Amino acid sequence: MGVVIEQELGTVHGDEMILNIGPQHPSTHGVLRLKVHTDGEIVTKITPYIGYLHRCFEKHCENLTYEQATPYTDRCDYIGSMNNNFGYAVAVEQLMETKVPEKVEYMRVIVAEMNRIASHLLALGTFGLDVGAFTPFLYCFRDRERILDLFEMLCGARLLYNYIWIGGVSHDFPVGWVEKTYEFLDYFEPKINEYNDLLTYNKIFIERSADVGVIPVDVAISYGVTGPNLRGSGVRWDLRKDDPYGIYDRFEFDIPIGTGAMGSVGDCWDRYYVRVRELEECIKIIRQALDALPRDGDVHAALPKKIRPKAGHVYSRTESPRGDLGYYIASDGSDTPTRIKMRSPAFTALSCLNEISRGWMISDVIAILGSLDIVLGEIDR
Amino acid sequence: MKITIGHMFKIKRGNVTLQYPVERWPRPERHIGFSEDSYNVIRSRLTVDMDDCIGCLKCERACPVDCIKIVTEKVEKGKDIPEANHRGITSHGTQKRLLVTRFDIDMTECCYCNLCTYPCPEECIFMVGGPNSSKREIDYEFSEYDRGDMVYRFAKVPPYVLQEYVDTEDDQKEEVT
Amino acid sequence: MVDYFLGTFSGITWLAASPNLSFVLAVTLAGLPIFLFMALNALIAVYAERKISAFMQDRLGPMGQGVGLHAGKWGVLQTAADAVKLITKEDIIPATADKKLFIIAPFILFTASFTAFAAFPFNEYLVAADFNIGLFYILAMGSVGVIGIILAGYSSNNKWSLYGAMRSAAQIVSYEIPAGLSVLSVVMLSGSLAFREIVAAQTGTTLAILPNWFILDNPFTFIAFWIFFVAGVAEVNRTPFDLPEAESELVAGWMTEYSGMRWSFFFLAEYANMFIVAGLASLLFLGGWLSPIPGYLEGNLWGIFWFISKVSFLIFVMMWFRWTFPRLRTDQLMRLCWKFFLPASFVTIIGVGFWDLFVR
Repeated sequence: MGVVIEQELGTVHGDEMILNIGPQHPSTHGVLRLKVHTDGEIVTKITPYIGYLHRCFEKHCENLTYEQATPYTDRCDYIGSMNNNFGYAVAVEQLMETKVPEKVEYMRVIVAEMNRIASHLLALGTFGLDVGAFTPFLYCFRDRERILDLFEMLCGARLLYNYIWIGGVSHDFPVGWVEKTYEFLDYFEPKINEYNDLLTYNKIFIERSADVGVIPVDVAISYGVTGPNLRGSGVRWDLRKDDPYGIYDRFEFDIPIGTGAMGSVGDCWDRYYVRVRELEECIKIIRQALDALPRDGDVHAALPKKIRPKAGHVYSRTESPRGDLGYYIASDGSDTPTRIKMRSPAFTALSCLNEISRGWMISDVIAILGSLDIVLGEIDR
Repeated sequence: MKITIGHMFKIKRGNVTLQYPVERWPRPERHIGFSEDSYNVIRSRLTVDMDDCIGCLKCERACPVDCIKIVTEKVEKGKDIPEANHRGITSHGTQKRLLVTRFDIDMTECCYCNLCTYPCPEECIFMVGGPNSSKREIDYEFSEYDRGDMVYRFAKVPPYVLQEYVDTEDDQKEEVT
Repeated sequence: MVDYFLGTFSGITWLAASPNLSFVLAVTLAGLPIFLFMALNALIAVYAERKISAFMQDRLGPMGQGVGLHAGKWGVLQTAADAVKLITKEDIIPATADKKLFIIAPFILFTASFTAFAAFPFNEYLVAADFNIGLFYILAMGSVGVIGIILAGYSSNNKWSLYGAMRSAAQIVSYEIPAGLSVLSVVMLSGSLAFREIVAAQTGTTLAILPNWFILDNPFTFIAFWIFFVAGVAEVNRTPFDLPEAESELVAGWMTEYSGMRWSFFFLAEYANMFIVAGLASLLFLGGWLSPIPGYLEGNLWGIFWFISKVSFLIFVMMWFRWTFPRLRTDQLMRLCWKFFLPASFVTIIGVGFWDLFVR
């Protein structure tokens, strides 16, 4: 282990190497710098450095009106932007105490769940890429492209939608969109079996990810980890069931949790598998919503002329693909907010990286980072 | 292993990429099988029909990134000023009271959120293509070599016309132009 | 070929008078087609890899459309364009790198692969240097490449490169043992280390219709073939064993600091190594230049054709592996080698010995 030198600064291990997984790196999911202290190949400490993508979102919002802030919320978690819009709209509507029409609620659920599928596909694909499987990455992206095409038909944009507005949505579904979505769901369901064959039950993949990077339940809760990461550790906590917003209480779906099928509870394989199972649950929800969607109704009925909430503050949270997305909005009665704070789930997921990757090798650190599914846009805002 | 070899042999059916310079989007039969006409809204190049613009500044106020800059002057209601390309009546029948002397959209700042197109009462600011194909064809290849070319100046008012309508105390507005 | 050239040179009096000069000339003339073949192999293999990977991933790969546009129809000129680009690229040597070692490393690796090529027979008569210990020679020259990799990683003065080089050295050196041991079973069956005799021992038929290749001879040689092939894939540092050049972790591993022509030497050497492993596997286990339908379609030119097609098929299988499987971690790789492949190769040797003694 090398010579241990006692100094006033503490003990310094003689063999330790400090390695920099730098901001420019093929697999850091954004611009993230990790300072890794290693002993040979075993990691002893990791310090993440963030802030490379900080765009002062919260400061900007102090000078914008409420509807102008919606495109800004898109850009925080750019992979699941419908969910960001949704969370923001729910928060402001809570502050203004308005209710949206039924049709709008169903539409919001449909697009949010489709965006969740797209986000999970990206998470699965990049996790496979991090462990070295190049092909499932492209298959996931091919299916993600179809979702993005559907969104393009709906609101013109592929990634940053600005679709879910405060008080409603920006456009009604175009003619034929619902049928195309049904077609997509029928096409996509068998593909999950393809991903399972290619990656999930692949022996090499299981060796790489089972038992690696276990997040024990107490560590997860104390760091504030939520979403599929928490569910991978066996805690059945999903805001759509435990604190429902919108009309989520009308749908029947399961919450998949990690059971340690291939190793310990809470390892990388569990988190990955929770995401795969969630794909199936999302398909269920979308089908139920499409079946129950009211065909006529004005989606712009509840759009307020002027968004001027009463003075006060609200904290509301929704379930984004990465976990508990929270918005704290403080208003003083004018049409610009005083303070918007976004609680980002990936931030807490990244914060527990040091704790869970001690004692693993560098390749495992990359695998753990991939399984946590972080998006730097959300962490840095 | 079977999966990858199967994909290899089915490439003609399964190919998901477009050969760019030769095959361009929008392609009518792209996997989902819908064409550009069934789009609700499209995000492409912003353009303004100056014939219809009444200078209400609603789009300028709606823009979250402040990329639209408009300067207007008062003129007689409903009068045509042909030298400045100013028609007194819009296609919706509204009579114009203001001459728009400066309408700049900085496309390098624009975030393509489409928030400016909704408040316009005359529907004169829109993104080309898609549902607006009847007014303008789709155009998403508008890169320029020089950054200054990306600022679109829609109001083309010659300086001699400007002199007549600008008050002398508003001289500082000319420096802005 | 060297013997052939030496034979013809002895007829030329002024050349036969100085044996050193004639030897050097003979060797150079024999080495030139080998070098050209190596370069051609890299060109075609790179193009094939990109196209195969693209087709497996539902995309088209390098394509050229229309008249006079970039890469020719179906993208065949893409590799040529890449080669031109690599040659004209700026030669960057990091300021803190160890210059001499940095410059030498690609040459060592390239030389090792090139000299291994010299003993490959394409045909009964077409071989650059006819050794009677050909097999041993090729295995030995393959090991020399490790020095090049270690020098490359060390001299780059970059922690990432060092990691990659160490991993690669450990991996190559460990996997040579199962590779060598599984080849021993073939040597036992044919009784010689020379390629000509090994392939000659595979002529004829078993069960009247199947060719008498060593892979079909024995269940143990079948296992030996797979052990050799997988160990060979590990030697070449290809996925699933490509941790040394893992793109998502170490950028490019031990090759990170190399650019332009130096990098293309490494690249050439990697594809040459692939050819060597596939070539060895096809010579030893799949019958080399013999036709799969014994008795038909044999002859000198057919021999070359069969050899090249078998090697190409095995290279295709290597590429298929690469785009299907994730990669193994270093310690899992080592564990696989020492705890699984090594005992398995011992078992094959003993098994083949017993089979030969008692069953035959």
